[in-house]
This record gives sequence, structure tokens and C-alpha cells, in this order.
Amino acid sequence: MDNEITSTIESEFPNVILSSASEDKKVLLSVKREECYQILSRLKDMGFAHLSDVTLVDYIDEGEFESIYHLWSHSKKIRAIVRTRIPRESPRIKSIVDLWEGAQIHEREGHEMFGVAFEGNPNLTPLFLEDWEELPPFRKDFDIREYAKREYYGEDKGYFG
Amino acid sequence: MKKITPRTIKSKAEARTFSLWVINYFTACGFMELLPWVGSGYDMERFGILAVSSPRHADVLIVAGYVTKKAVRRIKMIYDQMASPKYVLALGSCPMTGGMYWDSYSTVKRIDEYIPVDMWILGCPPKPENIGHGIVMAMNAIKGGFKGH
Repeated sequence: MDNEITSTIESEFPNVILSSASEDKKVLLSVKREECYQILSRLKDMGFAHLSDVTLVDYIDEGEFESIYHLWSHSKKIRAIVRTRIPRESPRIKSIVDLWEGAQIHEREGHEMFGVAFEGNPNLTPLFLEDWEELPPFRKDFDIREYAKREYYGEDKGYFG
Repeated sequence: MKKITPRTIKSKAEARTFSLWVINYFTACGFMELLPWVGSGYDMERFGILAVSSPRHADVLIVAGYVTKKAVRRIKMIYDQMASPKYVLALGSCPMTGGMYWDSYSTVKRIDEYIPVDMWILGCPPKPENIGHGIVMAMNAIKGGFKGH
């Protein structure tokens, strides 16, 4: 059944799928950014009603973020994982809030921690950080240790040098 | 039969010592180690220590575990609402130095930059015995007239 899903998606979106694999009860799709929304929409119609998570990974050496969507089908008992790459210079991707309302908070967190703009999300105001003026903290080029030392262990603070 | 005479309270300081009401601000593992004191294992109520839910009834604020930048505002708010004399106990390495979160971007490293702390109890997290030792030391100090910062 998981093979069916990959072959259906591949036949409907021929030039979009970069790689696909299906394991036991698991479908993995790597897709282009522009058509990611359409594929997610199609998967929702195929029975993947539940969005478990939206996460981001920073591949700084390749100059890209990866956005990962975890879907679950209650009827088929199959998990689908859709990945797409976003260039680091212009980190923007279409929001999927109108497909799954629950994506709102995941995208808001992703925007705060990675600085990725989810276009169409109604509320991307900071959630966890207060008065933050540095780079988004989950980016690989943000040096957490340097920041902590500068902010908390400076010479004027008088401890730990 | 031998007659049991009730204990007489001789001074205000002594009255304070045996009626320490505690408000807790727990964020992490420190609470797990204080639980034996709250429960019947070590039973802090035999010392007259009572956990209250309003800062306005509390004499002691216990901060256990790491403190994030957001949490420190709430802690300050709790501290400001407490009536004097008030005492602050910091539990564990995290409010002291940041502990294992010493290089985190979101935790404050020293809580005494924001509120005065009367006693630090070391440990990651401290054992219940350490906490008891600290509490008894604090009680002795209060009995001796210590009124906090």
C-alpha cells in the first residue's frame, strides 16, 4: 500500500520528486520547494489527515534549510515524511496553515528559531524569545557559546573571566 | 503520668522560625529532590514549614532548577509580592551558575543578579539531605534574628 502512494505521487508530479522511498509503513518523499504545497495537499486528500510535526534542519555547508513534514494516515496506518530544501539566502516557503490548522504553531516556532518566513501564516510573532536581537538561535552560524560568554560572562560581570 | 507542657514562643524571631511558609518556583529536577520533604518521607510540616499557593502568604521563596529569561520576570514578580521579612533559597547549580545550561542562549546564569538570595544549596540536583541541612541552617539563622536582605 505504501508503494502505491509513492507511485501515485510520482506519476502525478513527474518532475517534482527528487527522491522517494517506501519502507514498512513509511513513505519518504523529497520534493522541490515550489510544488511542496501541492504535494502535501494531494497527500491530505489521499488520507493523510493528521500532521504530526513540521521541523527544520540547517544544512549550512549546502547553504540550505530543510523543512520536514510528518504526516500520518489514521485509515491506512502509514506515516509520510515530506522533505523540501529552502535556500538560506531567501528562506521563504508557502505556509500549510490552510491545509492543517495545527501547523500554525510549528511554523511560528520555525520562524522564530530559524528565521524562515512561512508565507500565509497569520501569526509569526516571537513566541519563546524576548527582546531578541541576534541571529535566530537554532541557525548553525549562531555561536551559542560566544553569545552566552558575551552576554553573561563578560569582564564587567566579574566571574569566570 | 508526666505532664506535657506546651512550648512557649519567646521572641518574634522564634515565632518566625517555626512557621516558615514556602512558595515554590520549580522548573526542573530540583523539585524531585525536594518532594521527599513535601511528602511524608522527611515531612517538612514537623518544622512548621507549609507550602502555600499565594506569594502574599509566603515567607520563603524556593527557586529550584534552571531559570529562563522569561521565568526570571515571573520570579521577580513573585518576590516583589511577598511580605517582609522574606527569604530566598536557591536550589541546585542552575540558578547559581547556569549548571549544565551554562552556555545556553535562553537561561540566566545567576539569579542573584535579579533578586537577593539568602542561601545557595549546592548540587545537581541537591540530595534531600542537603536540602534539609540547608533548611535547618536557615532556621537557625532566622532564630538568631536574621531578617533577610
